[in-house]
Amino acid sequence: MSSVPGPDKKTKLLVYTIEECPVCGQKTKRAFAVGDYVTKDGAKCSKCSNQTRISLVYAEGTKPSG
Amino acid sequence: MQAIPGLDSTTLLSLFWIGFIVITFFYQTRLQSYLALNDISRGLSKLKVMKDKARKEAIDYLVNVGKASNDPTQRVDQFLDYVTIMPVDMDPAGIVGKIDHVVTTSNDRVRAEVGALVGQNNPVTVSISENLLEVATSLNQIHKIVRHYYLLGKKTNSYFTLVQLQMLMPMIIQEADALLNAVDSFKVGQPVGDGIGPVVVSKYMAGKEKRVVAKDTVMAITEYKGRKLYVLKADGPMAYVGQPGVAIQKILGEMGAKPSAIIMIDAALKLEGEKTGEIAEGVGAAIGGIGVEKFQIEEAATKEKVPLYAILVKQSILEAITVMRKEIAEAADKVNQVLNRLIEEKTKEGDEVLVAGIGNTLGVAQ
Repeated sequence: MSSVPGPDKKTKLLVYTIEECPVCGQKTKRAFAVGDYVTKDGAKCSKCSNQTRISLVYAEGTKPSG
Repeated sequence: MQAIPGLDSTTLLSLFWIGFIVITFFYQTRLQSYLALNDISRGLSKLKVMKDKARKEAIDYLVNVGKASNDPTQRVDQFLDYVTIMPVDMDPAGIVGKIDHVVTTSNDRVRAEVGALVGQNNPVTVSISENLLEVATSLNQIHKIVRHYYLLGKKTNSYFTLVQLQMLMPMIIQEADALLNAVDSFKVGQPVGDGIGPVVVSKYMAGKEKRVVAKDTVMAITEYKGRKLYVLKADGPMAYVGQPGVAIQKILGEMGAKPSAIIMIDAALKLEGEKTGEIAEGVGAAIGGIGVEKFQIEEAATKEKVPLYAILVKQSILEAITVMRKEIAEAADKVNQVLNRLIEEKTKEGDEVLVAGIGNTLGVAQ
């Protein structure tokens, strides 16, 4: 998974890709893969089997445990 | 041990303090200059590490991803010292056109240089290489300027030069750190915080026919509740910002569009204390840069008497140039709602509306 240091150095940012089904609106969150970009076709929708599309790519912070 | 007659501990303490005050009075600035020099020297070492790292990352990217045919080190080093000389402003009439010409020439040269190294087959790789080289150039410039004032202050023993630089160092380091962090996002093509405007408008453009309206800038025509929307953004997923000023001039001029409103969506620098991802509405041309695009948009809008509306998503400089944070990405849906409300409030059915998503489109296609 793609990860980058966060603003305070202690936080690690994990980057996710959100795939959204244009038909039923189902959203799937997965780890970012190189080559992903917004509007790129994603996997088939797990709910209605339609073609999903990447709607967002974003980073979320995780504090290290301990 | 015999005590010196007339010198008890109180007198000794008083003498110590008098001596201390006299030394401080005469040598205070010299002492502070010494401390400032130490402080700046530490910062300068950090900046050197940062600029060397950015240079190395750029070279590695050109070799490993760009598959540069020859060793690009020498070309990169030449590129780092490449300067753009701004036009003279003694007679300011027509200065925007001159700046535009100089900057466009500079940008074209950068792309040609990068293209010569990695070829033109993959525009995403070329655009990322351009951005990485720009980061390396900026860090190189910052390091050179700080080093100049450090050495000047040291040579002339100028207390005020050194203290001013010392006070600015934390901000300079913060900005340099933000630039260096941007490298990680650029290398893998992740959207940056500045790309929130393009993310919002990409939803309106997806699946529609696109046409190039200016260099690196695309437009699609769509419809929303009986209004005809001209939606534009820079051409993604390349790391472009496009020429929205030229594009808006063309849409309003050559293409003969008569929009009742121009709505611009952009990232805006937040003030300390403001929350990341906060949305602000306003009027005026929402676009950063050196001012050429802003001037062109204001000119076109004023000529055609089209009101300009702005939707801004707040973020810090670090968040704007590094991978898009969740708070910013999640603002996209709220911006969509604000955009739809603005369209409904400010225009009526049958009207035309121009919507521009401003910002770097790295990792955001349409």
